[in-house]
Amino acid sequence: MELYTGVIYPLVLVVCAVLAALGLATLATPRTHRLLKLAIPVAYAATGIHAAAVVVLMLTGLDQDLFLSIGYTVASIAVLALLGIGRLGTPEAAAADTDPDRPVLTPAQIVRVDAVAAVIVAVALATVFWRVLTIVEGAA
Amino acid sequence: MNPVARISLIAGYSVLALAALGRSSFQISTKLSEAPVPYLVSGLSALLYVAIAVALWRRWAGVALVGTAIELAGVLTVGTLGYIESSWWPDETVWTGYGSAYGWFPVILPAVALWLLLRERACRSARASAATAPEGA
Repeated sequence: MELYTGVIYPLVLVVCAVLAALGLATLATPRTHRLLKLAIPVAYAATGIHAAAVVVLMLTGLDQDLFLSIGYTVASIAVLALLGIGRLGTPEAAAADTDPDRPVLTPAQIVRVDAVAAVIVAVALATVFWRVLTIVEGAA
Repeated sequence: MNPVARISLIAGYSVLALAALGRSSFQISTKLSEAPVPYLVSGLSALLYVAIAVALWRRWAGVALVGTAIELAGVLTVGTLGYIESSWWPDETVWTGYGSAYGWFPVILPAVALWLLLRERACRSARASAATAPEGA
């Protein structure tokens, strides 16, 4: 429990803050896109660590709301799919899809889509992690 | 609409739809009788988010415009009523506190979406007027 509230939760919040900051920086300076791409696997790892911690807390018998905790953990993993979503707008990717509503993006637009998606995912992850913390603290 | 703005809105609404669907389906299926109004409002907001996300993807501008207008009116109404008539809300909805539990996305997103959709509509009208205007007029 102390490990979760003292180490893992602050760690994942820092990752969310870095992700949001890099997203905003990429919107202002497209060259930062390289750093943003490096932050994506870090966000995956942080979410994985958080999910593992929630599972461990459940297994160790903490009386937390199982359904909600699992729901929020699944949601935190689901929103990761939006990171780097700009790659789906490349001409090659769009050509492989017959959907006429699918946009085709220029390299500059791909960078901006990735940046905005990073900010959205960072806020969503921070919110989900905070909700899980509330449940865990309530159960302790 | 600029594709970056369109994709960003779709991403934002998809996240909100995921959050609201999860929350409302849990609340409605397990404890609807405890607070029917807040839980049904959360369910309504979830359906609205899905409809707006689909409308933005399929380029149904009219549906997206009406949906975001209803959403903005809903979040402002529920947010305000939560403060002035708190006894009406035994539990929180997605729109409580103007969406404060969701990083205020529920109030920011429809405002931005409405602005972009109305701007696009105005541009379309201007283009249509220019195309139908007699030459030399």
